[in-house]
Formats: sequence, C-alpha cells, structure tokens
Amino acid sequence: MEWIVYGFLFLGVVFNLIGNLGVLIFPDVYTRLQASSTCTTTSVISVFIAAMTAAGLSAVTGKIFVIALFFFVSSPVAAHIIARYAWNKEIIPWRRTGGTVKTEEEKNE
Amino acid sequence: MNVITKWRFVRILLTTGSLFIGWILFSGNFVPASLIIGLCFSFAVAVLTYGIFIDEKEADRKGLLPRFHILFFYLIYLLIKMYLASFKVLFNVVRGHINPRVVHFRTKLKSDLARVILTNSITLTPGTITLSIDDDHLVVHWLDSKTTHSKYAGLLIKGTMEKMLKRTFI
Repeated sequence: MEWIVYGFLFLGVVFNLIGNLGVLIFPDVYTRLQASSTCTTTSVISVFIAAMTAAGLSAVTGKIFVIALFFFVSSPVAAHIIARYAWNKEIIPWRRTGGTVKTEEEKNE
Repeated sequence: MNVITKWRFVRILLTTGSLFIGWILFSGNFVPASLIIGLCFSFAVAVLTYGIFIDEKEADRKGLLPRFHILFFYLIYLLIKMYLASFKVLFNVVRGHINPRVVHFRTKLKSDLARVILTNSITLTPGTITLSIDDDHLVVHWLDSKTTHSKYAGLLIKGTMEKMLKRTFI
C-alpha cells in the first residue's frame, strides 16, 4: 500500500517538473498551454490518488473525491478559456518547418 | 397549489439535500448541533440559489441523462487515457520534437451536455486542447499531429470517448 502512495507521489512530481520544463522550451502560446495546463492536471490528479490511497476508507477520502471532481471540471475550462482567447485574437499557431524547436528570439535573428 | 409552485418546492428540497450531503462530508462529524446548524444553513442557501442549481425548464433532467452508470466507466477510461497521453507529452518535452497542428472535425453528439463533456475530456487529455466549438464543429490544437485528414484526426482524438458518450446520452 505504501509503495502505491510513493509511486503516485513520484509520478506527480515528475509530471509537474516536465510540464514546467515544457513551458520554458516550447515556442508559442498554444504549445506552452499544452505543457503547463495538461501535464499539471495529471500531476495534481496523481497527488489526489496518492492522498486517497493513504487516507483509506474515511471521510477524508470523500472530501478529496469531491475536490478531485471539482478539479476535473474547472481545470479544462480554465485552459479552454485561455486557448479560445488566443484563437479569437487570431494568433497564428507555430508550425514545424524542419530542424529543432526554435524560440521567438531565435526566429527573429 | 398549482404545478409551478410544487416544482419550486421540489427544487428547494433537492438543493437542500445536495448541500446537506456536502456539509456532512466536509464537517465530518455527526453531533446533533452540527447537523441542525448545517440543515438550517443549507435550507437558507437553497432558498436563495435553487433557481441557479436547477433551472425551471429542466424537469426532464432524467431524460437528458438516461444511463448514468456508463459515466462511471467513462471516468475510469478517461483516467487511463490521461496517463497514457501524459507519458507521450513527457517524451515530447524531453526529446524536444513536436509537430503542432490545428485540426477541424465534427461530432455526432446531439445534446449540449454531451458536447460539453466531450470537449472537456478532449482538453483534459494531455496533447489536445479544444480552441473553439460551434454547434457540432470542433477546432482542436494537437501537440503531436499524426495526420491532417479531418475524419481520421477526429477518429484518433475522440474515438472511444464519443462512442461511450453516445451510448450514455442516446
């Protein structure tokens, strides 16, 4: 049982680290949003699962389940609103043209 | 007592019930004083907000959600798919190799609630974000695009999710 808790907490840490690394690496608003919002969602859900496993069958598990359900609804809506604002502002998505990923500064040079 | 007044009482009762369940979950004890205070306050909040919680024209809510138990399996399927897609995004970030595209496709779902659930699950799955939805026309940003053919892209992105939702909402 303890190993499941440790495994999910480790997964949460890894997803959060890589997601935030993606924000630094990726080129434009859409891809950065992909890395930040969606990877972070998975990490938070991992932490919730770890907490529910650690708490066992008690009232705390119900509380965490309700919070997780709320997070399931609110997190995609927040990501969608940012993405829709960028789309309606007519920001053109970055597209791959061959070679490695380039940042804004490298493209301007 | 006409039917509108009756429906109003039912709505207040349903709102009070769901608020009271939340109170019990978050207070976590069964002392009578706590239960009475919770009941009073959930009734007070219910009288103020029953119009927002259950709309006046939603008397057919059971018709909107006919097979609720499939949604439970849907949640488990969504969790598994989230983890699989998360590992894909993780490798994309580590390798630095991405191929982002914007794809357009249509959905066969009819009701608004089903469409909201479908777009929310597309956004929740790492690697895809719904940019815009207009009736049944979805615009999706895809981080690691395999194809630009709209029907095949729709099959890859929504795939089983749409089938399960179609079975839930008829």
